[in-house]
Amino acid sequence: MAATERPQRRTMGDRLYDAIFSNRVWRSIFRSGYPNTPRNQMLAVATNVFLHLHPTRIHRTHVKITHTFCLGGLSFFLFLGLTITGVLLMFYYVPSIERAYEDILALETDVRFGQLMRNMHRWMAHGMVLTVLMHMMRVFYTGAYKPPREFNWVVGVVLLVLTLLLSFTGYLLPWDQLALWAITVGTNMVGSAPILGEPNRFILVGGFQVGQAALTRFYALHVIGLPLLAAVFMTVHFWRIRRDGGLARPL
Amino acid sequence: MAATPQAQAQPSSAAVRGRQRRAREEELLVWPDLVFIEFISAVLFTILIVILAVMVDSVLLDRANAAITPNPSKAPWYFLNLQELLLHMHPALAGVVVPTVALIALGAIPYFDTSNEGQGEWLSTPNAWLLTKIGAGVGAVGTMLLIFFDASKHVQIYEWIANGELNANPDSPGFVAWPSWLSGIENMAAIRDNIAWPEWMFNVPLGDVLRTDLLGFPRVELDWNIPAFLVEQFIPVNTMIGLPLLLSFVAHRAGWAKTKRDHMVLQFSGFIAVYITLTIVGTFFRGEGLVLIPYTIFAHE
Repeated sequence: MAATERPQRRTMGDRLYDAIFSNRVWRSIFRSGYPNTPRNQMLAVATNVFLHLHPTRIHRTHVKITHTFCLGGLSFFLFLGLTITGVLLMFYYVPSIERAYEDILALETDVRFGQLMRNMHRWMAHGMVLTVLMHMMRVFYTGAYKPPREFNWVVGVVLLVLTLLLSFTGYLLPWDQLALWAITVGTNMVGSAPILGEPNRFILVGGFQVGQAALTRFYALHVIGLPLLAAVFMTVHFWRIRRDGGLARPL
Repeated sequence: MAATPQAQAQPSSAAVRGRQRRAREEELLVWPDLVFIEFISAVLFTILIVILAVMVDSVLLDRANAAITPNPSKAPWYFLNLQELLLHMHPALAGVVVPTVALIALGAIPYFDTSNEGQGEWLSTPNAWLLTKIGAGVGAVGTMLLIFFDASKHVQIYEWIANGELNANPDSPGFVAWPSWLSGIENMAAIRDNIAWPEWMFNVPLGDVLRTDLLGFPRVELDWNIPAFLVEQFIPVNTMIGLPLLLSFVAHRAGWAKTKRDHMVLQFSGFIAVYITLTIVGTFFRGEGLVLIPYTIFAHE
């Protein structure tokens, strides 16, 4: 595609780029040139591990905001934001029933931006439940679950459950009255199942009532177990979007 | 500045050239046309979340204390729909069976609606939007009516109209009460408690009926309470399966729903509306003792 490589008029951006980035170190990281030609723009997407989740070209209708409302992307964005704020919160939090509540209090009063981090984490968590639910509705109403995307819909339902579980396990961690009783009510629901209910509740809570064992388990699930599982399913979910031919569009 | 993708090499054959151009003209490059949208929306939402986080602090109540049960005790908001269901039926049914079946049914949608027509379009069938509205409307209103029934609101409204006065004193002379012959339908529990069921129905020894011991299995040691079974399991299950089926049947007979996709849209919209209604009622309209509020409107002293 020789025509695409015809040099265009050098802009100020090009000159600046050349001045700063034409060196061995930069070129060793980003191999494609400045993305101002179609070729380099496609290379910028195809040669970047993160961007190559995308194809290099997409159909015109797929960038219309009203086609997707960005809901799947927003859910992923919130997941990333929750990971970042979550790691920062972990610096100040010890999952022990003696310390957890005091750690949250200290986080809110003594830690610079601690309250902000906690607020962001909580709002993003609520937001993610909402965006995942709305993403499911978008996919349903646009018929995007239809063949060949059946299995990706199932993966999506699993991700919805994982999102709810992530939120639910995080709910206990502040170890305040809201946390304790919400988890008590929630786990009692599990316990009401016939035959398997009570053993499952016991495994989840690690005892007969919500205490240290429950906090340890919920913490481990919240910060590592469920996020890893969600990451695995997200990988499959995103990969299947590409494999199944991108976003659904009319035949 | 972004170059347009038009500057392409020209393939030799005219037919290939025409086909390629037609397909290509409908396409955009991901960089910049999608990546920038994603970037801008990420920036906007970061700002939005920071503003929200600055303005509204997260809740932190008193230290957890297993000795003090708050009234009401509620699950996280996205489980309040289940907690609301729990008030109306057997806990195993509301807490486990319904969510499990709902999730499996949700996951199975593409295996029921197997046609690949109409994908990638919002509400692609001619009646889809109508069916969305019908499903959502019937789901929301139906759920509210069922909740009102179980909270005896119909009794209170009857007494309000009959006495011409809201929350009239039942001890006052001339008070018109809900007719006693209808006491069996004051609410769900009344079906079990206020109807004169024959005494034996409360205590059916299943072991005597099923006789599994004759087959060499252990004898069933269970006394079956039929009125309680009716109220806690039979009626709720049949309501939850029967009403959606009835809705689909009506939509089919009325000619609104013609394809599987139409029925899917109807049922899914109904499900979402029920889910949202139960969540809203569970979140905002359940006060102390999980009594339906605003109880002052229809308070029954």
